[in-house]
Amino acid sequence: MALDFTFTEEQEFFRQTIRDTVNRMIMPRVKELDEKEEFPWDLWKEFASLGYLGLRHEEKYGGMGTDTITQMIFYEELARGSCGFFMAVTMQILMGTYFIGRFGNEEIKQRILVPAIKGEKIGTICFTEDQSGSDLGGTRTLATKVDGGWRITGRKQWITNGPIADFATVMATIDTKLGLKGLNFFLVERKSENRDGFVSGQRLHKLGSRCSVTGELVFDNVFVPDENFLGEEIGKGVQYAGEILNEVRVMTGMSALAIAKEAMEDARQYANNRIAFGNPISKYQLIREKFAKFWAWYEASRTFLYRCAWMIQNKIPCINECMLAKYHATEMCMYAVEEAMRIYGGNAFCTEYPVQRFWRDAKFLLYGGGTHEVLCDYLGRVFCKD
Amino acid sequence: MEIYVLVKQVPDPEAMVKVKTDSELEIENKYFTNFFDEVAIEAALRLKEKFGGKVTVLTVDNRRVDALRRGISMGADDALQFSDPALEGSDPFSIAKVLATYLKDKPFDLILAGRQAMDDDAGIVGPSVAELLGIPHVNSIIGLEIEDPKKGAKVTREVEGGKETLSCPLPALFTCQKGLYTPRIPQVMNVMKAMKAQIKKVDLSAIGLTTTDVGPHSAKIKLNRYFPPPKRPPVRIIKDDFPENVKVLVKLLREEAKVI
Repeated sequence: MALDFTFTEEQEFFRQTIRDTVNRMIMPRVKELDEKEEFPWDLWKEFASLGYLGLRHEEKYGGMGTDTITQMIFYEELARGSCGFFMAVTMQILMGTYFIGRFGNEEIKQRILVPAIKGEKIGTICFTEDQSGSDLGGTRTLATKVDGGWRITGRKQWITNGPIADFATVMATIDTKLGLKGLNFFLVERKSENRDGFVSGQRLHKLGSRCSVTGELVFDNVFVPDENFLGEEIGKGVQYAGEILNEVRVMTGMSALAIAKEAMEDARQYANNRIAFGNPISKYQLIREKFAKFWAWYEASRTFLYRCAWMIQNKIPCINECMLAKYHATEMCMYAVEEAMRIYGGNAFCTEYPVQRFWRDAKFLLYGGGTHEVLCDYLGRVFCKD
Repeated sequence: MEIYVLVKQVPDPEAMVKVKTDSELEIENKYFTNFFDEVAIEAALRLKEKFGGKVTVLTVDNRRVDALRRGISMGADDALQFSDPALEGSDPFSIAKVLATYLKDKPFDLILAGRQAMDDDAGIVGPSVAELLGIPHVNSIIGLEIEDPKKGAKVTREVEGGKETLSCPLPALFTCQKGLYTPRIPQVMNVMKAMKAQIKKVDLSAIGLTTTDVGPHSAKIKLNRYFPPPKRPPVRIIKDDFPENVKVLVKLLREEAKVI
């Protein structure tokens, strides 16, 4: 029996545990987190104390070393709560610490990774600049080799956790003419009295995911020692980024699943109670069609995403599959939040009801992990064997 | 302290429950650990933290062991599942018999349970175990103080218009009410431990019971039939103008709803 779509009893238990944790710790605060637009330090500390920030790291650094499917179950359940908090947590678990766990020396791991897993230091990753994001080859942040290390100069934008970050994994080029082949990752810490480092630039105010703080980081000829070069050899940055992007895309898809489901379950409750023309509006076929379409696309998306998680776990190449699954899940989510808004009618347009929050939170999924325009252009090219 | 906690996996309040036949319910596959049992686990863990010892969670269920895993994830040391095909159709008294038979030869200081299961709301198993073991029990406690296990426990429970505090020698059995403690959120390390835990199964023969001691034929409670609650009547809008509509409303409340 090679084909098996069931979760194990243990995985179901894990899901139920996360679900319960989210229900108790995050759900009661979702509205407040969205409205305040501040990083929730109290929630962060409380959540970090449970140990989830070490989900994918080695046990000797305080992690749990879980498999990909377990991690994806965690992401799917966590994203049901605050989308902003989800972004802050996933940045810490995955993108913000991945390369330090993989390439950092023991001293760096003890100094950076161990406190990051405890939630005591905040990490982030820096790809995007004013003229590059999905187009990584356009990266202009420059890394220049100097005696004993590197000097980093540039500005990075749209950095999740940026305004509060203690350390960052920074993509920089050794030569802007080299395009993708010039890219590398460096560990850079925040500037302090006794250490050169980055400083925060402008903070962005976002439409959704508002409790994750996002902003610009400035690297002004920052010196980092040789051991802060994160990689085996120079010029492999894009290859390394590819390793993590599969996980990032499936994780993004998981958040799309969660937001879509929450929005539609909320809309279902509304449709069952809102009376128009003498009936709950869920009795009308045009409303029912919205739920049916959502359901079909949601189930397809979920199956596809977990297949990708299974492929990553079993080290089966799946770059295209992960892009397709992220694209499908996110478009499904766009449909769900848009239709949930319509089911709510005029009430969707006021902030009293949560449906507008799902709609706002979902929009960022279109850009994280590569814009859909870039993904589709690439996937279309692959399909046409161009 | 040696503490046992009796736990049960119950349908999630969000789960769809339908009456399938007169004798069978169709329950959506969404289960969680009975909330009051989690309160009992929390109380046991706090006592363990204070006095040391061991907390063991017990369940009688042929299929679901998540309540036991939940116990381990919260910090319990051990878990036992009592399962046997003959247990199908057992009533709460038979379940209590299984638990009491196992516990009668075990040294223990305290048994804790939830005040009732959130599915059948019976609240029978805990007190029945205490009766079968011949130990004191206090139900629905909202306060638990133990200074020295040898000197007994002080427990508090709500009574009409106030609270009462009782002193009770140990060993005893207490059932726990909401308000005693807030169950802790498990740490991921314990969640992983719970996921990997091999749950020990105990069948009837291992505790010296036979198939005739449990099951439907030895049940003291007989299920006659399940039936769904009546459907809520549709909302009626009184379309008359004021003040005529008030008169109609009062008439309806008096004659149809019979509430005034």
